Amino acid sequence: MKRPVFTLYCLLVYAFLLAPILVVVGASFNAGNFLTFPPQGLSPRWYVTFFHNDVFMRAIRTSLWVAAVATVISGTIGTMAALYYVQHAGRWKEAVRIAMLAPLLLPEVLTAIALLFFVYAIGIGTTTMIGMIAGHVLITLPFVFINVSASLESFDPSWDMAARSLGADRLTRFRRIMLPLIKPGVIGGALFAFIISFDTFTISFMLKGIGTSTLPIQLFDYLRTNFTPEAAAVSTVSIVLTLVVVIVSEKVLGLRIHRF
Amino acid sequence: MTEVSIERLTKTFGSARAVDCISIRIADGEFISLLGPSGCGKTTTLKMIAGFEEASEGAIRFDGKDVVNVPAEKRDIGMVFQNYALFPHMTVDQNLAFGLEMRKIAKPEMRERIAKVLDMVQLGGYSDRYPNQLSGGQQQRVALARALVIEPKILLLDEPLANLDAKLREEMRVFIRDLQRRVGITTVYVTHDQAEAMTMSDRVVVMFGGRIAQIGAPSDIYERPENLEVAQFVGQVNLVKGTITAAAGAGKSRVASVFGEVAVDSRTDHAPGATVTLSLRPEAIELKAAGQGGAQGKVTARYYSGSIIDYRIALDSGETLHVQTFPNIRIAEGDRVSVHAPADGFWLLGAAK
Ligand SMILES: Nc1ncnc2c1ncn2[C@@H]1O[C@H](COP(=O)(O)OP(=O)(O)OP(=O)(O)O)[C@@H](O)[C@H]1O
Ligand SMILES: [Mg+2]
Repeated sequence: MKRPVFTLYCLLVYAFLLAPILVVVGASFNAGNFLTFPPQGLSPRWYVTFFHNDVFMRAIRTSLWVAAVATVISGTIGTMAALYYVQHAGRWKEAVRIAMLAPLLLPEVLTAIALLFFVYAIGIGTTTMIGMIAGHVLITLPFVFINVSASLESFDPSWDMAARSLGADRLTRFRRIMLPLIKPGVIGGALFAFIISFDTFTISFMLKGIGTSTLPIQLFDYLRTNFTPEAAAVSTVSIVLTLVVVIVSEKVLGLRIHRF
Repeated sequence: MTEVSIERLTKTFGSARAVDCISIRIADGEFISLLGPSGCGKTTTLKMIAGFEEASEGAIRFDGKDVVNVPAEKRDIGMVFQNYALFPHMTVDQNLAFGLEMRKIAKPEMRERIAKVLDMVQLGGYSDRYPNQLSGGQQQRVALARALVIEPKILLLDEPLANLDAKLREEMRVFIRDLQRRVGITTVYVTHDQAEAMTMSDRVVVMFGGRIAQIGAPSDIYERPENLEVAQFVGQVNLVKGTITAAAGAGKSRVASVFGEVAVDSRTDHAPGATVTLSLRPEAIELKAAGQGGAQGKVTARYYSGSIIDYRIALDSGETLHVQTFPNIRIAEGDRVSVHAPADGFWLLGAAK
């Protein structure tokens, strides 16, 4: 392709990807009463409404909380599973991989229904958030697993042997050699987990208890009866929150590994 | 320091015997090379000494104490890997400090020891570099320093020069050898490069197919190879058929061949009349102008390579010889020559086991 043609092509792809976001952000600053684009006059009034809306505020807190808990659990289990998969699974390797990726391959609604049956069968039901968190862990696990096993595959076993010859026991080797070297994979996987958990609808919808609600569900509920720019404000805030999580973890934890 | 004794050491993978009942006694401060073709079990032997691979049978003793059940992290060994295995997320300084931290060495002493060893490997100003900011040769020296700074009982190196270019490899041979002498540490060095093993070691262990073919000083291995396989592995060799005419005493036999009848060194005794194979190193042969005695032949090829010239000679008796000489003789392709071989250039080969 000629250069200008290629540039135009890239711009179109970007427009296709980003235009919906721009429309939502634009619509959220609408001064009018209805969700329209282009906005009829600019005003932050719907943000004020949103921030004073207790239901939404509670939903956003629930979402953040569930995402954080799910990320920690899924990050830990996913990393351990990847370790087993790469280093010890032996002839079970393929089986382990498919089992770990199953939640990604199955329709989410199927996973949700199965889990719903399960939590009722074992008697915990949906009065607590355990069921919903389990669901979130389940659907985010594959992302942690994929990321961590990719970085483990490039972990040179002679690093571990060198550390051993220098006198490091198993725990020290994990803490000082392996973990720092697979950190990009772990953090990358955890980020995916957080964003997917924050964003998921189906699992939460099936497994949320009565009275609790996550942000996507609350938004869905709201849009069934209202059509104000407040919905766009909610979406914009959730986009910003996602970005903040990505940028902060990049800065604080360091997605790029040191200098190699 | 440490004497290492390997006794009937064996490693089986399934039904394959990667290392087959080998015994070596390594003296304190000795530099031993394990030399052999790919897959002969060198790395496996080294890993068993290090503790990364469990021995199937046999014993490994450091100063008389069996260490077979001691885990690698407690064996107190320094190991250098072919790919260096420097920790990429740590600076040179942190790489060297790692082993000392594991030994709970106090900070001031740590600083001192790191500075000293960095000085030894001539990397004084590099302590804040990350491994990927160093050249291959420098990484190699850091790996060496990291293994030595913990002052281990023994130093193990697995083809440490294989990833370097030819010139640097030769420099590093001398460098490692000098360093080892100065530190006086018992060292086991794995290589498949015979020149490397020869120049660096006190003794060379030649291995084939998991077994030891010969242990000896480099000159022993080269001049008095146990069998044809060893002779061919440690250098180029001409094979000359001969017949035993008489035992000559003192490990010598009289052998008749195209070069006449000479008294040849051997390790084994043969009855008169037996047909034997003599080895004759290319550089032991002398070429003279035609008609000056010795075996007669014709130069079929001449390869000039700077420090030496390689000749291929077709003897009138039918054999082909490979000859190496200094480039100060002017013999061209196609010339007829007299070929002389001194009695001490021959060695009577034993049959391969
Ligand atoms: N983990 C293993 N499982 C099965 N067989 C193995 C294993 N490790 C080594 N072997 C086999 O044992 C034999 C010796 O291997 P080893 O690595 O010791 O050879 P080497 O002499 O170091 O060769 P190279 O010069 O190629 O490094 C080989 O035939 C190899 O295939
Ligand atoms: Mg090897």
